[in-house]
Amino acid sequence: MKTRFLFPHKYKKIGWIFLIPSTLFGLFVIFTDYEPEWLRLPMFTFFAGGIDETSYFSIIKTNVANELASVFFLISAMLVAFTKAKNEDEFITKIRLESLVWATFFHFGILLIGMLFVFNLEFFTFMIFNMFTLLILFILKFNISLYKSKRI
Amino acid sequence: MKNNLKVERAIKDLTQEGLASLIGVSRQTINAMEKNKYVPSTVLSLKIAKVFGKNVEEVFYLEETD
Repeated sequence: MKTRFLFPHKYKKIGWIFLIPSTLFGLFVIFTDYEPEWLRLPMFTFFAGGIDETSYFSIIKTNVANELASVFFLISAMLVAFTKAKNEDEFITKIRLESLVWATFFHFGILLIGMLFVFNLEFFTFMIFNMFTLLILFILKFNISLYKSKRI
Repeated sequence: MKNNLKVERAIKDLTQEGLASLIGVSRQTINAMEKNKYVPSTVLSLKIAKVFGKNVEEVFYLEETD
């Protein structure tokens, strides 16, 4: 079936291969504040807040452990989420759409709850996780629905 | 909308998998249609009817609730 906005099926496996280690690495970085010296690198920045002033369009030294984890997670999760199924057809496209709507509701539902009940620095931590919940929820919901439709 | 896919399939001695590969969809799709959980597109209905050598109305028909 002709589909728009989906990657070819072969990238799904690559996505999964990178998704699992990058998830583990990401969780490790968050929970242990992992920032080794060798990952402290000069990076180009649009803007970065400093103690006394904000720098615009300049090179700053920063630890890239969390950037590495987020970038790898995001790319691999996008590949897993938006590659075609082995035999993508109109029924699978319908499951995909329904899962995406479901995931969007829950993603923003969680955000609403966080806005109302989480404050200060914890809200910042919460937002880091919330950046990825849409993709995670979609991947879970879509794969469970697909699995169920295969079993019946 | 209802259908008699299962009956037609039996007449032609086709498995769900067999019918699916003839019209280029997944087996789940045939299964979901037989369970009345999925209403196929016009294109898919026409393809299925063609496989059975019948008119679409002989394979798919409206329910009172439609």
